[in-house]
Amino acid sequence: MERPLSPFMIPVWYRFQITSALSILHRLAGIALALGSILLVWWLVSVAAGGELFRATHAFIASPVGMLLLFGWSIAFFYHLCNGLRHLAWDAGYGFEIHNAYRSGYAVLAATALLTVLTWLYVLLA
Amino acid sequence: MAKASSLSNSTALRDETVLRRVRQLGSARDGLGEWRLQRLTAVALIPLGLYFAASILWLAKSDQTTAAAWLSSPVTALLVILFLLAGLAHALVGLRSVLLDYVHTRARLIAAQLLIRAAAIILGGAGVLAVLKLFLGR
Repeated sequence: MERPLSPFMIPVWYRFQITSALSILHRLAGIALALGSILLVWWLVSVAAGGELFRATHAFIASPVGMLLLFGWSIAFFYHLCNGLRHLAWDAGYGFEIHNAYRSGYAVLAATALLTVLTWLYVLLA
Repeated sequence: MAKASSLSNSTALRDETVLRRVRQLGSARDGLGEWRLQRLTAVALIPLGLYFAASILWLAKSDQTTAAAWLSSPVTALLVILFLLAGLAHALVGLRSVLLDYVHTRARLIAAQLLIRAAAIILGGAGVLAVLKLFLGR
């Protein structure tokens, strides 16, 4: 039998747990946000450059693909923010009890959904 | 040409680690500094991220003139630069920890680390230059 290595433990060695799923999601959201920094800098450069570059960038962001990307990044941003607060609380020594870890996990999911919905309601209605 | 040692190729040790092991200087880890940087930037990114997200929402339907005027004001320019740099530093630590978990070959690990560092430096430089251009040109 192969010795288990740290990644890819979940389907084979462990049953599904919300805590480990949220942990992986935190990383995935972080990677997504790191990729988003490319668009962020691109947008800053386009504002500085102005003219055709800004129009093209703006058109891309306002296109269906651009909006879908922004929607994904908004989920990633709010999730990584809320779960990051959870991590900071752990770093400070709070919330390690299993039932608290589960409870804060569900709270993070609820807060992410709420913040994302409110944000897009504002975008679509305002 | 014979390979000097299989150790450095079979594991993903960092240069500093190998050298420090040879010199018996003890731990070559700089994990604490990285850990601190990740938490420090995380705390800074809470207000900076919320500020930037709120501003983007406010700017969502604005034209280039409005966005340029917003970016060229001193407080905005400073906060956006800080947000960008804190975000990139935070991303670099995070991406590196992902690489250390998943990339088990030394050459690939070094190449990937060089790539993300170069990307972060280029993005940071370009973003700061863009904001500075607007701020200095106001």
